[in-house]
Amino acid sequence: MTPGGYVWIGIGAALAIWIVASALRRDIPGPIAVVRWFAQSWLGRTLALCAWAGAGWHLFCQRP
Amino acid sequence: MALAAAGAAFSWWEGGLHQYSTAAHWSIAVVIALVLSSAVAFGWGRQAATAGAWVRGPLPVRRHLAERRYATVGVLVWIVLVLAVVGWDLNSFVHQSHNLPTLSSIVGHVTSSRAGRAATVAVWLALGAALSVGWRRRR
Repeated sequence: MTPGGYVWIGIGAALAIWIVASALRRDIPGPIAVVRWFAQSWLGRTLALCAWAGAGWHLFCQRP
Repeated sequence: MALAAAGAAFSWWEGGLHQYSTAAHWSIAVVIALVLSSAVAFGWGRQAATAGAWVRGPLPVRRHLAERRYATVGVLVWIVLVLAVVGWDLNSFVHQSHNLPTLSSIVGHVTSSRAGRAATVAVWLALGAALSVGWRRRR
């Protein structure tokens, strides 16, 4: 395991803990609420769709 | 139901392609074009908020903290987590070291197998569909 890999594990663990916390407490917004917030306006939806399209092209057409 | 089955079939087919193949490039490009055009077609005049109201909405942080404390702190934690992902990915990309893998190189380990690539494509398709047609105001 590389040093950078340990940092990714730490970030992933923090994300997992926060997703579980948001599932247990109704007043904490979860990942779906975050996506829904971006979809409220054309600007947010366009930004999110551009990020989605760029990520898809990068992951499935460029990177291994 | 038919759309979900088509999405699953497409994901499995796409999972068998190599990232540098012409078929992979064309299929992903067509999906992106379909999702973007359906976002416009299904969403015209059906957004919940204007762009200005959406940008200004989160700005009065103190008022949000007073009215909905846990939700506001929750949003701030999300911002910190997303900045951590983006910041560490940028740091890893800039240094180009084997000791600092980027997020896409980690995902690359998952997408190196057909099942992993197909599952990642399926998640990506579902997110695109939600962003394209989801959470629209009724006409």
